[in-house]
Amino acid sequence: MSVNKQQLLSAIQQQLLSLWALLRGFWAKLMAKAKPQLRAIAAKAEPQIRAIAAKVEPQISAIAAKVEPQTRAITAKAGPALRQVGPLAGQVWRELRSPDSWREIRLRPLLMKHVRLLVITDDLPQASLTLAETESFHPDTRPPEEQLLSGIPGRDYREIYQQAHGRLEKIAKVVTVDAEPDLDEVRVIERDELRAINEQLTERWAEASRFEEGFRRIDEQDRFIREQQASLENFSNLDIDLGALRNKTRFLDFYVGVVPRENVSRLQGAVTLADHLLFTYLERGQSAHVVIVGPRGEQESQLASVLSSASFQPLPIPVGLEDASPEQKQDELSAKRQQLQAERKALSAEVDAWEQAHRAFLRSARQVLQMAAPFVTLDPSIRSAGHLAVVCGWVPARALSELETRLRASLALPFELTSRDPTPAERPLVPTVASTNRLLAPFATLVKQYGIPQYGEVDPTPLFAVTFLLMFGSMFGDIGQGAVIAGAAWAFRAKLGSFYRFGVMAGLSSMFFGALYGSLFGYEDVLPALWKSPIHHPILMLQIALGYGVLFIAIACGLAIYNRLAVKDLAAALFAHHGAVNLLFYLALVWGAVSLATSGNFGSLPLILIILSLLMLAGYAWSHLKAPMGEKILVVFIETLETVIGYISNTLSFLRVAAFSLNHAALSLAVLTLAGMMGPAGHVITVILGNVFVLVLEGGIVMIQVMRLQYYEGFSRYFSGDGHEFSPLKLRRGPA
Amino acid sequence: MHEPYLNTRVSAMAEHLVDPDEVMTLCGLSLPELAQRFGLEGLLEDSLDRRAKSRSVKQALINTLLDELRILIRPMAAAEAGLILAWGRKYALFNLKTLLRGKLYELDQAEIRANLFELPAHVRLPQQDLFQAEGVLELLRKLEQGPYSLIAKQAREVFEQKRDPFALEAAIDQRYYSEMARRLQQVHESSQPELKQLLGAVLDRVALMWLLRFRFSYALSPSETFYQLVPSVRLLHRDRLLTLVNLDSLEEIIAALPEPLKSALAGSQSAIEVQQRLGGYVTQEARRLLARGHSGVARSLAYLILREHGVLMLFALVQGQLLGLPRDLVEIAVEAHPPDCALPLQSAA
Repeated sequence: MSVNKQQLLSAIQQQLLSLWALLRGFWAKLMAKAKPQLRAIAAKAEPQIRAIAAKVEPQISAIAAKVEPQTRAITAKAGPALRQVGPLAGQVWRELRSPDSWREIRLRPLLMKHVRLLVITDDLPQASLTLAETESFHPDTRPPEEQLLSGIPGRDYREIYQQAHGRLEKIAKVVTVDAEPDLDEVRVIERDELRAINEQLTERWAEASRFEEGFRRIDEQDRFIREQQASLENFSNLDIDLGALRNKTRFLDFYVGVVPRENVSRLQGAVTLADHLLFTYLERGQSAHVVIVGPRGEQESQLASVLSSASFQPLPIPVGLEDASPEQKQDELSAKRQQLQAERKALSAEVDAWEQAHRAFLRSARQVLQMAAPFVTLDPSIRSAGHLAVVCGWVPARALSELETRLRASLALPFELTSRDPTPAERPLVPTVASTNRLLAPFATLVKQYGIPQYGEVDPTPLFAVTFLLMFGSMFGDIGQGAVIAGAAWAFRAKLGSFYRFGVMAGLSSMFFGALYGSLFGYEDVLPALWKSPIHHPILMLQIALGYGVLFIAIACGLAIYNRLAVKDLAAALFAHHGAVNLLFYLALVWGAVSLATSGNFGSLPLILIILSLLMLAGYAWSHLKAPMGEKILVVFIETLETVIGYISNTLSFLRVAAFSLNHAALSLAVLTLAGMMGPAGHVITVILGNVFVLVLEGGIVMIQVMRLQYYEGFSRYFSGDGHEFSPLKLRRGPA
Repeated sequence: MHEPYLNTRVSAMAEHLVDPDEVMTLCGLSLPELAQRFGLEGLLEDSLDRRAKSRSVKQALINTLLDELRILIRPMAAAEAGLILAWGRKYALFNLKTLLRGKLYELDQAEIRANLFELPAHVRLPQQDLFQAEGVLELLRKLEQGPYSLIAKQAREVFEQKRDPFALEAAIDQRYYSEMARRLQQVHESSQPELKQLLGAVLDRVALMWLLRFRFSYALSPSETFYQLVPSVRLLHRDRLLTLVNLDSLEEIIAALPEPLKSALAGSQSAIEVQQRLGGYVTQEARRLLARGHSGVARSLAYLILREHGVLMLFALVQGQLLGLPRDLVEIAVEAHPPDCALPLQSAA
């Protein structure tokens, strides 16, 4: 048995060694072959490229001469922009030095308490207002355990609030209403006051809706005149007496008008039944212009009802069409449209006057609704029995004492506030307080795209930020391009909001690695590399990337183990995916692989550890599987195999970090080679366009690749992302 | 589209359909037996009043139906899924009509709310937003911003012209069936023949019932009646409807109907009798298609039609028990007895 085992170990070692030798040989051959071939291609292509360059250069020079004034103007403008570099650097330095930038960075979640507030029902509106003012109370909407607490107070308050709020929002679409005015004083809004506001808003909305209706009527009339103009244009080409169509004759019944296109077919059938005929003579947008003609008689009344159902709008045949020229009639219709414009203007003025007259009321109504909102928001979490009401929720432990103090100061009647730690069963319900650190805020947004950390889990944001910047910078290291990214983020900071810091930091990281690589806008020979240029040390870059990948995966497994231990799930921490046994297997595998690469020997201890850990994983999977024997063997075998393949492929996945740093240098080299074949103007333009190309295309790809590594290789190991965000009751106070 | 998957899924689901032969047995079950048989125990707790029980049962049954619809449309291409979804939107239109009636008759908000169904997201109306509307026109204008825009626009134009609740609801129904017919033209041609058979049966039934109702119950003119109808894609197409609406009595209309409708309805004395006899027309077609059809989409729709029929029958049984109605009345409601004259559908297909 021991002989067989040794043979097996030796065979595996041999296989791994030969695989490694094959890979190394392949890489060396590739590098050896690629250089002469690239040179040969370059030598072959050179005459053609030179010919093209010679042809293109006069055109480029001409373009350059043409754009020179603009270039000068841009340069003149660029001066002040470049002068922004100083403030940018200053701002970055200030932000980094500010203690605020380093506050609220935490890996562990903020400790939360479950609170239960028992108040007299009359004090509920004040209690909700106080809870909202503290901005530290996240309502718990679960039904109470006590059977007695079955009543739901404040239901009609909510109805009134929603009606009033809906009306104010509709008014805000007609006139400008402050979305969030400043609150001069914070007070409880009683139901009667809310009802009175709602009634007044009902009246105001009735008035405002008349304006809305007025604008709609004008639009409709305008549309109808445009239809008439189109119709007139059409009639003027006909050689018939249109005056005859205007009046019904003794025997014939005429209708000329517009119907929605989708109704034409049905209307055609319907008028046929009334012995009439329908002709469509013009189709415009969603409308069809039709002529309906038939004998006069009993059917007329039938037809009137059908025409009404079909939304038929008669087009008046202009009086005196036979006498006046079409141009004259068109002028008349244009005059009508101008009149409508004047009406629209007058109505707008009326709306402005109305807005002035009611501005103060609308503002105060908004303030009242802002103050009533907390009670309405809290409503689903309130239960009552008689005069007592209970509100439950989650509060950060550190905010509890302040909450109690504020309640004591504001509530006139007695109350009871009790708190306790969340039970293990409640853990999925406990909200997670997001980090408010301003440097981490944009990274937190990206983490949120994956999910919210569950209470108890490690917050991945700080680790995500550091590893993101490391990977982005190393894959896209260039001082010049990094400066462009940072500068662009700074220039558009007003539009980007807090996300501009993300751009600045990514740019700075790119600049830092650019300095290490000695790369400036793709030029590798302008600045000396503080470390090494990737293109000249590809093997080293690949080795570092692999090492980084191993570290990243090991940390991710470590966090997964911690997260499970935090929720006291020892079995999962040991045996589940990415648990301790997985980590043991992985580290043993890495150990063996490093030994193999350095000494040519995989080593017995790593192999024993690998086999032991795989056996443990298989045993765990076996004990948790309920299936027939055959299926069990198959599933356990495949799962174990998947563990082995998964860790190897996941580690190799990090080679892309090195591959992109090489790719970046290679792309830049291609751009510069192309530029070198141009004249001076062509050179500059090619370098600029090439850098733009590299920035946009490669920058985007690198971003996606980094996110992929973070989400797939990192988050999927240790981050469930199924928590929910702390969303405290808040009082919207308006601009601070 | 994953046709074999869809067909397998439909066949698996069809195992749960109520067998027509089982209906008489179900009529004889007590309420607890029915609850146990269909897993409704939790909804028929003693603590609830009769109305709440009835409401919760109907809500649960509709949810089951619409959940199955969601499962079935998942593997379908956009046009096919759109058609099936358009069929399921009838439940959203029930809610729309409830909201419109509430606005028209200025009903109490709580009462309107109590009569609305909670629907899954894929067919739901923006109810809260519509609830805030102050009147019918405002409500319909709000609804014009979304998937119900065509229905809402048509309904608003009709209401602006006529201010008539009947015309408003007729316009909504008319638009609903027109939309189905329109979407049918967009589906892949491989599914069209079978879908035409099935949807045609649905549209035939609707067209004939509306024709009789508008002409003889509401005494509308032939023109007005024709305008309200939706031509079918099977038997009662546009030209045939033009002929039928011009006839002046039920007998003449039945005599002018194409086969198999003519034989099936021969001798009917009233619109109610016609309705009863037409009861099995659509379900027989759906059963035939479910058993022998090839198109996954058509079989899905057939399944949903039968499932809806079963769900409504179950609701009628529960409602009958809750109201303490005599068994013979319940049997009529659930169409336990086949119509006197069976429809020779195969000849129509």
